[in-house]
Amino acid sequence: MNPRLTRDQLLRRGAAGVTFLSLPGLLAACGGGDEETSGELRDVLNFANWPLYIDVDEETRQRPTLDQFTEQTGIRVNYFEEINDNAEYFARVQGPLSQGQGIDRDIVVFTDNSRFPGLLISEGWVEQLDRDLIPNVANLIPAQASPPFDPDREYSLPWQSGMTGIAWNESVTGPVESIEQLLEDPELRGKVTMLFELADSVGLAILANGDDPSSVDDDVFNRAVDRIETAVDSGQIRRFTGNDYAQALTSGDLAACVAWSGDVIQLLADNPDLKWGVPADGGMIWTDNMFIPTGGSVPTASTYMNFVYDPAVMAQISGYVNFVPPVEGAKEELAKNDPETASNTLIFPDAELLEQLHQYDSEALNNDEHISRWQQVTGQ
Amino acid sequence: MGSFFHRHPRVTPYLLLAPGIAWLAAFFVVPLAFLGYQSLQSGVFPSYEFTFEFSNFSDAISDYREHFVRSFLYAGLATVAALLLAYPLVYWIAFRAGPWKNVFLLFIVAPFFVTYLIRTLAWLNILADQGPVVGFLRGIHVLDEDGRLLATTFAVVAGITYNFFPFMALPLYVSLEQIDGRLLEAAKDLYASPTQAFLRVTLPLSAPGIVAGTLLTFIPAAGDFINARFLGTPNQAMIGNVIQAQFLESLNYPSAAALSFILMATILVGLILYARVVGPERLTG
Amino acid sequence: MTTATEAVPARSRPRVSTRVWSAVKRHALTAYALLAVVYLMLPIAVVILFSFNDPAGRFNYVWQGFTLSNWAEWDSVLGLRESVVKSLQIGVLATVVATVLGTMVALGIVRHRFRGRGTTNVLVFLPMSTPEIVLGASLLTLFLNTTSIFTLGFWTIFIAHVMFIVSFVVVTVKARLIGFDRHLEEAAMDLGANEWTTFRKVTLPLLMPAILAAALLGFALSIDDFVITYLNAGGEQTFPVYVWGIARVSVPPQVNVVASAIFLVAIGIALANVLWQYRRANRQRGAR
Repeated sequence: MNPRLTRDQLLRRGAAGVTFLSLPGLLAACGGGDEETSGELRDVLNFANWPLYIDVDEETRQRPTLDQFTEQTGIRVNYFEEINDNAEYFARVQGPLSQGQGIDRDIVVFTDNSRFPGLLISEGWVEQLDRDLIPNVANLIPAQASPPFDPDREYSLPWQSGMTGIAWNESVTGPVESIEQLLEDPELRGKVTMLFELADSVGLAILANGDDPSSVDDDVFNRAVDRIETAVDSGQIRRFTGNDYAQALTSGDLAACVAWSGDVIQLLADNPDLKWGVPADGGMIWTDNMFIPTGGSVPTASTYMNFVYDPAVMAQISGYVNFVPPVEGAKEELAKNDPETASNTLIFPDAELLEQLHQYDSEALNNDEHISRWQQVTGQ
Repeated sequence: MGSFFHRHPRVTPYLLLAPGIAWLAAFFVVPLAFLGYQSLQSGVFPSYEFTFEFSNFSDAISDYREHFVRSFLYAGLATVAALLLAYPLVYWIAFRAGPWKNVFLLFIVAPFFVTYLIRTLAWLNILADQGPVVGFLRGIHVLDEDGRLLATTFAVVAGITYNFFPFMALPLYVSLEQIDGRLLEAAKDLYASPTQAFLRVTLPLSAPGIVAGTLLTFIPAAGDFINARFLGTPNQAMIGNVIQAQFLESLNYPSAAALSFILMATILVGLILYARVVGPERLTG
Repeated sequence: MTTATEAVPARSRPRVSTRVWSAVKRHALTAYALLAVVYLMLPIAVVILFSFNDPAGRFNYVWQGFTLSNWAEWDSVLGLRESVVKSLQIGVLATVVATVLGTMVALGIVRHRFRGRGTTNVLVFLPMSTPEIVLGASLLTLFLNTTSIFTLGFWTIFIAHVMFIVSFVVVTVKARLIGFDRHLEEAAMDLGANEWTTFRKVTLPLLMPAILAAALLGFALSIDDFVITYLNAGGEQTFPVYVWGIARVSVPPQVNVVASAIFLVAIGIALANVLWQYRRANRQRGAR
């Protein structure tokens, strides 16, 4: 039985949320539907991740680092590329998790610019890592050592990061290097978009106002959103997007937009007119974090995390997926085989660049009033 | 088997209905009941409590009235557009296409084989500001210099029309296809002009198809969120977008449930009024 | 076809403009039909075109050059083939089941008066009016509470698809049943056929075009569904789920290849059918 699920909690949850508990369901919530406890090392790891987020050998159709892991430890990996959106995946798994049941996964990956990492931890739906099994955690880059939602890194470790800044199309406009310009330059009217993600868009606006996104109160939030709202009302901002800005930016429909560095790396290959930069007042960094959901095997997952924090392994992964690794020394390892990718500052930002990147206040991400207001502004 | 039905005529409807209705009962009504329960809950995720929170409904209506109205407006426009666009095409397929009927039916449905995202990206490509379509429209001054097609109400309604086109076309085809050609010949023999023949024979006979098509288009279109998300600005947001956000991002399940019920109820009321207008036998035969 | 024999007064040859105008009128409808098909196929054309693109990066937005390698190596993107197979399997299965169930319901509603007919009619419309996210999520809750019976995966997706397709089938088939000429059935029964034989040999064949149209619609719905499928898939990937997932970082041309292939195969089958019917008609004519 999950030690965190006291009788009181069970009764409250039973009465409150999902009340169609059939007898088997009740038993499962009570007594652990999983045959093994989460304390034993298993020979299978169930890893749920985002698509195209791990190295792939196209010829052999294998994932080299996973095979290396199996060779080294004897643990087979079932890799599920089933996460395509934080909110949608959360909707899928919150049912069992809220009843204290496992979801048949040992590692899941959520982005910290969404409300879900903070929520998972505050609700107690993730297990603590076994740090003794992860000596390689020493390789974690200092910038990632203490994120707002998990200050002691008890529950999570970064997988890959990405940066949020401004991308612009040089064939349409000159450099767009500040949020002020993005939101207020009349030349760009109607050719600008921002992201649906609150943390990204509002975070950048907060920085543009001179405030600090890691500590967001109502004033700070409203000032930033006011600025964005003005731009929406005036028609400056064409619309809000997920990563579907990519096509419009490439085709020249957009002059500039809030964009993720990872996308631009790919788009650059086909359209050299595209540029990406951190805004003058600062940019945001988001990180996809590995969590062990309730019922996941802590030792097995921790063993894998340790494996992946070996710079050589992380170098292989980042070298393929082209996102920012959280591990010291990965750049040097990659430079041995692939100096070109290793010298790409969008994948391996230097310390100076990292200084300019911020994370959003994770408590504020779960502030219902903030969320409500943002939805109004983005049209939801 | 034939004699069984002959001897027990009253059982027949229930036997026919049983499997389908049972499926819907188990996998729609039961979840719906739970949804109803959820719509009267209050609290913060994940600990909701059942408190007969009728204010969920009144809040939903007052906060999102604009979105409801807009959704019905867009769905209505798209339905009319789909009807006007589809009818001539379907007429041609039913009466003139001969052996090629099935090929053309496939053309109608084919866009669905290419998932929504890819279809939309293709349209974004075609309707891009720098693309040929907008260029042409600017050239003939339908659009201004700076005019655009994307991120407008037009784009959203056009997107809904395009995506629900088969839902209008196929029921229309179904009822046009069965029209006996001899009726039209008889009309001609009685000196009716082609227009009169159409208006007084074809059109009335295709009425069940029109009714079915408009319902199959309007009802799901009202709850659509995807077109507004990709093709519109915040000013085009439909109630589907709100429900989506309430459910996924706000994690406000009671509100999402209440909004869904209001949408369903409004559609049902509309359905009843529609049945009054077109005649209830058009809905049940 | 009767031809009326009446004295037609000799007319002078009509003017050119009248002849042109009547030619236009005759062909206007055909021209419109072709234009409409062009409109429907425009995005498909772009998709097919870009399946031959050779992009340098991971997105397929800029035309770089023609290549056949995407078609040759269509399977080189991990997970794509499996997702398409899943989609087709579920699509066919769910469509068949939903079409059978839906046709039966339509027959029941239209041809019989029974208690609860009005309610049944309303019940049929409800799933269509429910937003997908809510439909999917409430169904998921049901499955999560009945884990002894249902495990999330292929069969839960199947169940969900049948559930939302049935309504569309019912409404489509009803459009044919309302106003169905029963005289042929009555004639058959007068000639001694019992109800089942009449149904099999008269009703069903006449109903077939509507049933096929409904099945086509149902299949389209199933193969394109994302939201409900995603929530109830428990890790399985159908084609739309796969595409939405990968689109965050990549839109590989192989996706276009697969989508184009499905379309072309379907058209191919339909064209083959036309050819076969043509041959059959010729053979019959030749045999006489």
